[in-house]
Amino acid sequence: MPKTDHAIELTDYERQDFSVCLGCKICASVCTVNDLDLSTNPQEMLQKLFLGKDVAADDPLVRFCTGCYRCTGACPWEIRIPDVVRALRQVHATESPFEKAFKGSVAIWGRVYEPYVLMRAVPFLLKGGYIKHMMRWMEYMGIHLPHKVKRT
Amino acid sequence: MNVLIIGGGISGVSAAKVVLKEGHNAIILENTAELGGTMARIANCRIGFKTFFDEIKDQPGLRVIKGASITAAQRKGDAFSVALSDGEVLEADRVIVASGLSPYDPVEYRGKRVLTSLEYDARIDQRNGELPDDFNKIGFFLCVGSRSKEYPLCSSVCCSYTIREVKWTLQRAKPEIAVFYNDLRLFGQEFYLQKIYRDAGVRFVRANSRYFEEDEEGVTVRYFVDGELREERFNYVVLAIGLRPNPGLKDLGALFGFSVNEYGFVAEEEPLTTDLHGVFACGGALEPMNIKDSIMTGFGAGVLAVKDADLLTTATREEGLLCNEVPPEITLPDGDFSSCAFYLGTEDPGAAMFYEYMSARFIEAARKLRQAGKTVYVVTKNTVTPSYDELTFEKARREGVIMINLEEGQSFTAAERSVRITGPGKDLVLDVDRVINFSDHLDGFHGKEFLSVYRSEPQLRWNPTKWSRKKYHVGFLRHPRDKRWEPREILGALGEILLDRGEERLYPTVEEERCSGCGSCKDACPQKAIDIIIQDKQVSIFGPIASTGIPIAHVNEDACVACGLCVSTCPSDVIKFPPEEEKAKNQGCIEPVPF
Repeated sequence: MPKTDHAIELTDYERQDFSVCLGCKICASVCTVNDLDLSTNPQEMLQKLFLGKDVAADDPLVRFCTGCYRCTGACPWEIRIPDVVRALRQVHATESPFEKAFKGSVAIWGRVYEPYVLMRAVPFLLKGGYIKHMMRWMEYMGIHLPHKVKRT
Repeated sequence: MNVLIIGGGISGVSAAKVVLKEGHNAIILENTAELGGTMARIANCRIGFKTFFDEIKDQPGLRVIKGASITAAQRKGDAFSVALSDGEVLEADRVIVASGLSPYDPVEYRGKRVLTSLEYDARIDQRNGELPDDFNKIGFFLCVGSRSKEYPLCSSVCCSYTIREVKWTLQRAKPEIAVFYNDLRLFGQEFYLQKIYRDAGVRFVRANSRYFEEDEEGVTVRYFVDGELREERFNYVVLAIGLRPNPGLKDLGALFGFSVNEYGFVAEEEPLTTDLHGVFACGGALEPMNIKDSIMTGFGAGVLAVKDADLLTTATREEGLLCNEVPPEITLPDGDFSSCAFYLGTEDPGAAMFYEYMSARFIEAARKLRQAGKTVYVVTKNTVTPSYDELTFEKARREGVIMINLEEGQSFTAAERSVRITGPGKDLVLDVDRVINFSDHLDGFHGKEFLSVYRSEPQLRWNPTKWSRKKYHVGFLRHPRDKRWEPREILGALGEILLDRGEERLYPTVEEERCSGCGSCKDACPQKAIDIIIQDKQVSIFGPIASTGIPIAHVNEDACVACGLCVSTCPSDVIKFPPEEEKAKNQGCIEPVPF
């Protein structure tokens, strides 16, 4: 079975449901991923799914979609494109560690349990070299470490 | 007989015309303070409505009630007793529902520079003073508030009036204009208009957008075309709003007891008739439609209310007044194949007029093939399927017919067992056994009468079906479109025949001595009622008298509608309306329609 069919099975949609798309490309006009890559077009992705063609794992939409649902809000047919993107990520096994952590947490407790999410995220944070920004994060959060005060 | 007409818009007034002509009483009940409805909100149509209404304004049988609504309706035998909000009780034998349409209000996008088309129309109206200084770049966005999950019908007018607004804008200023569309659902001559504006530099972009960022100087719009996102600044953005049913129609249906369909329009079983006996519907109460069709259905509802329509239809058919033509059949591909593609696209605006008819037929055929288990693609440049046809379109899409819309600049090439769609940012190859081309079917249209009729359909008349006093066009001959329109068109034509009966008309006469036969009146005539004939004449210039042929204009009175265009065009005032005393003489040539 092609990967796209498997992805559609993971969503609430059937293949025919994507056919209601008029091809107006309103979704592309409001998509925030377009700030990173100008060629992002959710409508083309829907057409690929409908025609039974594969959507590549390095498609900008699959890589960068933040799930803001602006496309759904603007779409005349209210197609929930981020749902589809999430299913595609699962099929391509390119989910982010946070996404995995959230899903795992929901699978175990039925809700988001922050300590678990943070625990699952630690390897990612260490590996990605994000730990060097830790000081800044803490400042954002309002936690200030004691620091030297210049004396005059 | 008292006929109560609910709604004082164009269709209600048209219905009143027929009712009054037949000698019955008409009561027009208008909810708001002024007559005119949606039509009177359009600056360029307000005067037209006024002249249309002024023709019946002084008739004794007419009564207009403004600013009142219906609070209760009761059936008494064959008649209705209707109580109004001001306490009055009306007795009516027949009721015509002409509640009209209400334009959609896109509150979430509207702003100082993001205007709806009605606001824009008021802005460019000459009577509202000068245009603003920064009138340099304008973007039109179609299909706002229609063709969506909430309201799946196509408004069937927003493409047309956008073309008109482009025209009115260009008459006053020369801004840069871009039109963003999903499908250009134009009709008849509008395809030529579109071609003219395209050549004149108006951009047509097959994309749509909801990204409008407004600031003091303009609006930033993002849209996706040719495989990449573009950002553009416009001074003004115009949202071409769709038309929705009148929200009061549901309550009206509950008061009287006729049913309303799921979209909020009158459920129409027989043409122009509700399921309650004695209550008829016309205009925007039936479906979204343009002004011309509103007039036509108004006439039709008037006929149904006061006349026996079946008898009248038989009489006019025997008389040969109703003309129709049978359209050419579409041949389905036969033989063994698993996939096929319908291609609907042409560059010729004359051929594009048949988009509406051909889209409907292609989609019908595509659904049939799809149900037989085949893979069907419909590749289109435009699918013209307005109002209720949009539902068939959606059904086809849900059944798995694959629609592919071509953008500007994309091309479709058919090869052995495959088709290829190429263009900037797109390269799609589909495996297809058979290709059914729109242009192959156009051969069937050539040399038929409707071609000339449809291409020269005059727009400046209040007669939706009349071609001449001996010919009233209905069905395919009037407008190639869905079958549900034909019975409505027949009723509308009956109304027009009733209105024309015994009507006094003046025909222009030609002063044969002075006519030079230049032919400018012939070119001006929208009815093709003027011929240039060769008349024998004895002339003598410096010599013996000789007989020569001199061309002069001749008015064919059967086809003439006395519009006066030839009179205003004639360079030497040769063709003129006769003075009043000759009116009686001319009346002899009018043959009243026998009933």
